[in-house]
Amino acid sequence: MASASCDARPASPPSPSASFYALSDDEEGDYSTIRHARSGKGVKLLYAKSKVYVHPSPSAKDNISGYIAILEQKGPASTDAARRRASAASSSSRTSKDATSSRSDSEGLLVAWLPESGMGEAKEIYAKVELADADEPRKQSYLVPPPPVTTTHSSSVGAYAFAVPLSEIYSIAFRVPNSGWWHGSIVINTRAGDSFPALFFHDPECQSTTNERKKLQRESFSISKDGGGVYWGGDAILTWLKRYAVIERSHMDPSVYLVDPNEEDKKAFLSGAKPTPEQLRNVLEGKHKDEPGQKKDGPDPLTKALREARWTVLEKLSQVTTFTRRTAQAVAENKNLPPQVRRLMQSPQVQTVSDEFDSARLYLARWAMSIAEQAEKEKSQRIWTAQEILEMEESELGSFEILDTESLSMVDRRKPVTEKEWKGFFNSRTGRLEKTPDEVKERIFHGGLSKDDDVRKEAWLFLLGVYEWDSTADERNAKMRSLRDEYIRLKGAWWERLVDETGTLQEREWWKEQRMRIEKDVHRTDRHIPLFAGEDIAHPDPDSPFADAGTNVHLEQMKDLLLTYNEHNRDLGYVQGMSDLLAPIYAIEQDDAVAFWGFVGFMERMERNFLRDQSGMRLQLLTLDHLCRFLDPKLYDHLQKLDSTNFFFFFRMLLVWFKREFEFNDILRLWEGLWTDYYSANFHLFIAMAILEKHRDVIMEHLKGFDEVLKYVNELSGTIDLQSTIVRAEALYRRFQRMVEAIDKKGNFPKVPAVRQRLPQPPPAGPTPATGRASASASGRERTPQEGATSSEPVISPELRALLSREVPKLEKREVREHGGGVGS
Amino acid sequence: MSSRKKILLKVIILGDSGVGKTSLMNQYVNKKFSASYKATIGADFLTKEVLVDDRLVTMQLWDTAGQERFQSLGVAFYRGADCCVLVYDVNNSKSFDTLDSWRDEFLIQASPMDPESFPFVVLGNKVDVEESKRMISSKRAQAFCQAKGGIPYFETSAKQAVNVEQAFEVIARNALAQEESQDFNPDFPETIPINMNESNEGCAC
Repeated sequence: MASASCDARPASPPSPSASFYALSDDEEGDYSTIRHARSGKGVKLLYAKSKVYVHPSPSAKDNISGYIAILEQKGPASTDAARRRASAASSSSRTSKDATSSRSDSEGLLVAWLPESGMGEAKEIYAKVELADADEPRKQSYLVPPPPVTTTHSSSVGAYAFAVPLSEIYSIAFRVPNSGWWHGSIVINTRAGDSFPALFFHDPECQSTTNERKKLQRESFSISKDGGGVYWGGDAILTWLKRYAVIERSHMDPSVYLVDPNEEDKKAFLSGAKPTPEQLRNVLEGKHKDEPGQKKDGPDPLTKALREARWTVLEKLSQVTTFTRRTAQAVAENKNLPPQVRRLMQSPQVQTVSDEFDSARLYLARWAMSIAEQAEKEKSQRIWTAQEILEMEESELGSFEILDTESLSMVDRRKPVTEKEWKGFFNSRTGRLEKTPDEVKERIFHGGLSKDDDVRKEAWLFLLGVYEWDSTADERNAKMRSLRDEYIRLKGAWWERLVDETGTLQEREWWKEQRMRIEKDVHRTDRHIPLFAGEDIAHPDPDSPFADAGTNVHLEQMKDLLLTYNEHNRDLGYVQGMSDLLAPIYAIEQDDAVAFWGFVGFMERMERNFLRDQSGMRLQLLTLDHLCRFLDPKLYDHLQKLDSTNFFFFFRMLLVWFKREFEFNDILRLWEGLWTDYYSANFHLFIAMAILEKHRDVIMEHLKGFDEVLKYVNELSGTIDLQSTIVRAEALYRRFQRMVEAIDKKGNFPKVPAVRQRLPQPPPAGPTPATGRASASASGRERTPQEGATSSEPVISPELRALLSREVPKLEKREVREHGGGVGS
Repeated sequence: MSSRKKILLKVIILGDSGVGKTSLMNQYVNKKFSASYKATIGADFLTKEVLVDDRLVTMQLWDTAGQERFQSLGVAFYRGADCCVLVYDVNNSKSFDTLDSWRDEFLIQASPMDPESFPFVVLGNKVDVEESKRMISSKRAQAFCQAKGGIPYFETSAKQAVNVEQAFEVIARNALAQEESQDFNPDFPETIPINMNESNEGCAC
């Protein structure tokens, strides 16, 4: 909490509260003593930090908030020690090598953890001490009720509270926080060989940690400490302890700090020798004393007996927590983890400083949490047995199984494909692709294409179907030549229409209307992009509503392109939203003929979104409905209560593929991934699901009506982190795929497949929509609340099954003619 | 009876694409104008609390996509509306010509209890544009509104905040009157479950 800033103030003792404690009130002069109890009995509270939690189970709702504190016991034995400590500490904090005499310093001190709920009035004092400016000498010393002192965890009573004499602490393992995955924590190991439950520092909630970070930021423009890493609650503990004891970092395991180590300890732990895994484990678990030749005394019989019998429920649960932490660590070190996720986890300071990363951080945190809770739920809330814990630890999968197999076993290479790598895919002589299209698509799906070179210009034409994957360079050149000719022909055709006013009256009206529509929409499409921002040329049409504002060459090109598309696909024509779809392609290609054919390719799959009868949009919204019910029935249930299962609030996202939700550059990355159809030609629905899932808790807890859901989802625009959304969408897809497979496999058995047990109760029978539900309504709706045993087999609706296909759903020409709403060809 | 709960007035804004629906709404609620609002996709709404005859009401203004084909999904929002605002661009005669069909479509989809008395308000927007470009005269618009049973008419400029406040004041008052008239009808449910899929059967196109 405080730095060793005593040198600056020779008049003040280094730690005023410590040194003056033994004196009477009068002698303390300026310092007045606040006594907690009328009796005057109490221990002195030196330091305190709030929001230090015990996590008794993997579920966040069981976390117990409390204070960690350093207390000084009053007593004849400790008085001298305290005096001596004051002087010793000031020197030892600077020259901590001087370890010989300091053991006794720590005798009167207690390291304690107390649950907030049990602190009563003393809480105020703890709060005061926590926030007292550590650099200023305290004006007061604070007395609080003495906590029961323990030396072993097993003997601590009730809600995990403990107070252990500093002299009894052998080592403390520090685990620094990793944003999004776990809170920083410490585990105190005693000389008797016991470990106290891990204490987790919920730094974002902790005022004193926040203050210290702010201070660091003010002073050095960084919330990192000198040694790197974000300042966290554990650092404060280390600082406090260093004032009273010699703290040595173990060379064997840098996360372990030894408290007042003796020569043997040093030999064993401070040497540079590499530790065996057993040694490490023993240290972590506080079993170092059982190692031969390390400690002087063996544990007393009582401690031994307690240790034998320590499989109490509470102990088991704390083991679960440890297990979760270890698994998370294993996940973090997993080579298969996508680099950006690993990076995210490894540089917490980045996220703490930058709000932009906040959503990613929250996402990861919530994701990890929901998985932990899911796993807990699946255990039907049984008490974990030791055997189970051990089994899970051995499997190293445990509750992170879903995360591990679904999103983390992805290929490590998520680097964008550069132009150089892209060129390398092709035969240098023929220009023919030498990889399989799937290999290339996989790379693009996971890594995207580089934004720093021109790779997109060419690669997009493959993704959009302008070029065949197995074509040679010559074939592509020939194709582009003929496409350019065709573009010019189409452009000439509408130009003629407008000038000569050919066609029926109805056709002429339609063209006039379409031209006006395009004019209006282009002038309000992506104008914040520099390419489209300018108004540097006079508008060619003085009658245009934008004649006064002026235009630029790219806007004019966009208009021509859309009118040419209107000519090319007269059955459908231009519809609002298409300008949003064209802009990124134009921005990348910046060549009207090339952009046009890229757009035509894109429109082949997007056509269904723009039909007059909106059947394509209905189908996708309905599929989303099924998907949500399949993957997250609880959320679905809630949405149903809010009359939101029409999923209209996803209309905008689906119509223009999230164009309004993400930044322009993110859209380029998202679309090229979607164009690969790597998993599914409808992967955009998994993106939608990923966005929905991320906000499920908020939606379920806070949104009470259809309008609120719509508003909330509309306002997500500009707040969604793309990369984590893609990762999550992939995880959802894989889960979906596995669930379908499991259901198919067990299709003929009357028993409910295990995977279905994840699904809570079916939603209450509501108004059953006309289509698509019939098959789904047999899918577990009849499940009784008690057990799924009597349920009929879930059936995968055709809409859901279609999601497994990688074939782009394209409309027949006839369908477009019938439902397009254009003038026809 | 009417003061027993917070009053929410649901107002639907309709009209051709590009006539300025989003701009009018934003001018009224946020006192802001931007020339580069993107074309509205799907639907959105803004809310504003206003005093109508000393009573605090919340106006929920629904903005929808102007292109007609997108209305088929938007009908869900028409239900339970208390007022419908029809917007056209005084410099675009086509947008005026379609007012009638916007009105008809609304009455069909929203199916209010008494279509004859359901409150509409017509706004002729973009009066800030130079006079020479004007296509629809005040007289013509007023005649239309008269013929439709005396619909209140305002000429507005969302860009220059002309008449916007006044128009929405009337919209709020008429919406409140409509809401209260419905309160006396016990058969009219306060909320109607909306389900997009219902319209599947009815869609003949």
